[in-house]
Amino acid sequence: MTTAVAPVAADAAGRESAPGRRRPRPRLAPHRRREALFFYLFISPWAIGFLVFLLGPMIFSFYLSFTDWDSFTAPVWVGLDNYITLLTDDPIFLKVMGNTAFYSLISVPLGMVVSLFIANLLNKKVRFRKLFRTLVYLPHLIPIVAVALIFQMVFAPEAGPLNQALALIGIEGPNWLMDSRWVKPALILMSLWQAGGGTILLLAGMNGIPKELYEAAEIDGASGFRQFWSVTFPQLTPVIFFNLIMGIIGSFQVFAQVFILTGGGPDNASQMAVPMLFDEAFRFYHMGYGSAIAWILFVVIMIFTAIAFATSGRWVFYESEVRS
Amino acid sequence: MSLTSSPFPRRGLLAGMGAAGAALGLAACGSGSDAAATPESDESHTEFVMTVWGGEADKAAYQARIDLAKEKFPDYTITLQLIPSENYEQKVQTMISSKTGPDIMQVAENVNVYASKKQLVPIDDYLSQGGLDLESTFGPVGANYAWDGATYGVPDRSGAMVLYYNKDLFDEAGVDYPSADWDWDAFLDAAKKLTDPAKGQFGFGGVGWWPQWFSLVAQNGGNVLDPETGAPGVNSPEAVEALQFAYDLYFTHKVAPTSVDYSNMGPDMGADGAFQQGLVAMNATGFWGVGGNAAIEGLNWDIAPFFHGAQQAVSAFGSALVIPTAAKNPQGSFEIIQFLTSAEGQAPIADKGQDVPANLELQESDTFLDPEWLEADVDLQAFPDSADMIFTPKFIPEWNEMQKAIEDAMASFWLGESDAQATADDLQGRLERVIKPSK
Repeated sequence: MTTAVAPVAADAAGRESAPGRRRPRPRLAPHRRREALFFYLFISPWAIGFLVFLLGPMIFSFYLSFTDWDSFTAPVWVGLDNYITLLTDDPIFLKVMGNTAFYSLISVPLGMVVSLFIANLLNKKVRFRKLFRTLVYLPHLIPIVAVALIFQMVFAPEAGPLNQALALIGIEGPNWLMDSRWVKPALILMSLWQAGGGTILLLAGMNGIPKELYEAAEIDGASGFRQFWSVTFPQLTPVIFFNLIMGIIGSFQVFAQVFILTGGGPDNASQMAVPMLFDEAFRFYHMGYGSAIAWILFVVIMIFTAIAFATSGRWVFYESEVRS
Repeated sequence: MSLTSSPFPRRGLLAGMGAAGAALGLAACGSGSDAAATPESDESHTEFVMTVWGGEADKAAYQARIDLAKEKFPDYTITLQLIPSENYEQKVQTMISSKTGPDIMQVAENVNVYASKKQLVPIDDYLSQGGLDLESTFGPVGANYAWDGATYGVPDRSGAMVLYYNKDLFDEAGVDYPSADWDWDAFLDAAKKLTDPAKGQFGFGGVGWWPQWFSLVAQNGGNVLDPETGAPGVNSPEAVEALQFAYDLYFTHKVAPTSVDYSNMGPDMGADGAFQQGLVAMNATGFWGVGGNAAIEGLNWDIAPFFHGAQQAVSAFGSALVIPTAAKNPQGSFEIIQFLTSAEGQAPIADKGQDVPANLELQESDTFLDPEWLEADVDLQAFPDSADMIFTPKFIPEWNEMQKAIEDAMASFWLGESDAQATADDLQGRLERVIKPSK
C-alpha cells in the first residue's frame, strides 16, 4: 500500500496520520497499574483455561488430523490422507454430514418458529401465565438421558402415544426410530420438545419492547397480527439472531440424542458428525481420522455461521438503529 | 438392537470429553516401545494396580479375591481400581498412553487392540515357569487370548451362553423342558408350541445379538471370522443358511419378537426383560440372567445348555487378566494373576454369584454349583456342561469396528427388509473394508 504524501482531510479523518509511527505508550499511574494487575489476576483462570484446555488441544488435534495415530504407538505423518479419504472414499462420511445438515437446517428454523409462537402466547395476559412459563421451560431442565428414554416410549411403533394419537385420526404412524426415512424427523421432533430454552430468551426480549410502540400502532389501527409483525418481530430480531447462531452451532454438534436413542442407526440413517467422530477416535482408535472429522465439522459450522452473520444486516435491527 | 444395547450415553460423553482433554497429555507419550520379548522385572516394585470394569457386585467379588492374594503375598500391595463398564476402554486407553497404566488389567474381546499394538507383555515364558497349562485348566477358552503366536492373557471369567426357560409356560403348552440334545428342529418345534400371539407370548427371545447368531453360524459349520486369520467369511453357504434359519424364526414362524415387537413391550425392553415378564418362554443369554431372574418373584424357571445344530457350538462371555507393557514388575504381576485365576483365587466369583469362574475345577465344584446366594433350584451344571462346546470368534483388533459394521448392515435384516444372502454379501463387503487379516 502506498501512502499519500499529503493526506486529504476527509480521508484521513478516521486514520492514524502515518503508518509505522506509533504513539508512545503512556505510563500508567500506580493505581492504574494495580488495576491492570488485578485484571490479569482475575482473568487468568479463564485465560489459562482457554490456552490449556481449548487452544492447546485444538492445535494438537489439528496436527493429529494429518497423522495416523492409534493413541498407543507413535503417530505417523500421513499428510492430507485423512481428509482425502473422508471426502472421497469414506463409505459413510458424506451421508453423515448430509444427515447433520438435514437435522440442523430443519430443527433450528422449526425450533425458532415454535419458540417464537409459544413466547408470543405466553406474553399475553393469560391466567396462570407464570405456571405456563415454568412448564414450557421445564423440558429444558430434564437431563438428555431421561429425555431420550421418555422419547423411546413416545416413538414406540404401536404402543407409543404418538402413533396412537395418529391412529385416532386415521394415520398409521411409522416405526419412527427403526425406519431410515423417519428416524431423522423423529430426532427433530424430539429437539422441538426442548424449544422452551429459546422461549425464555424471547420473552425477556418482549418485555424490553417499549409500550409506546404498541400504543402508537394501536392508534394507527394496527391489528394484533400487524402489531406482532411490525413491532414485536423486528424488535426481537437481535434475540432471534442469537438463537439462530447458538442453534446452528449446537445442532451441528448434536451427540447425546443420537448416541442414546438410535446409536446412529438404522444403517447410519441417523448418524451425525460428532457421534461418528467419537466412534472413530475412542472406539476404533483412529485419533487422526477423528481429528480430521472434527476440523471439517469446524469449517462447516464456520461457513453456516458466517452465512448467518452476512445476511444478518438485512433482517436484524438494533434499537438505536434507524432504517428508512 | 441399538435401542437395547447402547450404553449410557452421558457416561460415554463424559468419557469422550475426558479422553479429549487427556489427548494433549498423550502427545508427549506417543512413542511406544517395540519390545515383544519378556521385559525385565523390577522386583523392588511391590505396589500393584489392577483395573477391572463393572458395578458394586463386581467390586465386592474382586476385592475379596485381592484380599486373598494379599494373604498369599504379604509383601505386595494390590490396589483395585474399578471403572464403570461404559468408560473402561477409554479410561485404560488414556492410562496406558500416558504411561500410568495398571500392572494387571482385565480385558475381553478387545484384548488384541492392545496386543497388536505391543501394549501387553507376552506371558508364555511365565506360564511355563509357573507350570500353568491354560488348555487343561480352562478348557477351550484357554487359547482365546493369544495374538501372533504369543499368549497374553489368563482366562478369569468364562460362562457359556445358556438357554433360560420358563417352566410354567412349558407346562402350560405341554412341551418337554429343553436339553443339550435339542437340535434346530426340536428347538423350533418347541418354540412354535410356546408362541401364542393372542397372549402376546413368544417362544424364544431371538438371536439378534452377535453371541447368538454367531453361535448358529458356528453350529452350521461356518465362521463369521476365520479362526486362523480373522478374515471375514459371513457370506459362506453355511453362514447364509444359519442366517436364513434366524430369519425364519422371526418372519416365517414368528416365534421371536422383532425389535418392533420389543419396543412395543416397553422402554429399553429386550429379551432378558421380556423373559422376566413371561413374554418369551426361552432366552439365550449369559450368567447374569441367573441373578436377574432369581430376583423376580413368582418366576418359575431353570437353565439348560444351548441347543446344537450340525455341530455343537455356543458363545461364551468372559474376560482375562493381562499385564500391560508399562508394568514395572511383570513377574510379580504374573504371580498375582496366577493366584487370582486358581480355584482358590476365583472362589469369590462363585461365592458371591458374580459370574462363572473360568477355572474348570471350580466350575465343577459345589462352591459354584450349589451356592448359598441362590435360593432358587437352578441347575447351574448347565455351565460346566457347556464348557466343551464353547467356540470363540477370533478376537480381532478391529473388534469394535466389526460390531459397528454388523449393526449397520443387519439393521434391515432384523426388520425383515432384506434377505439372508443379500445381507451376508453386504456385511462381508463391509467387514473386508475394516478387517485386515493377520498372517
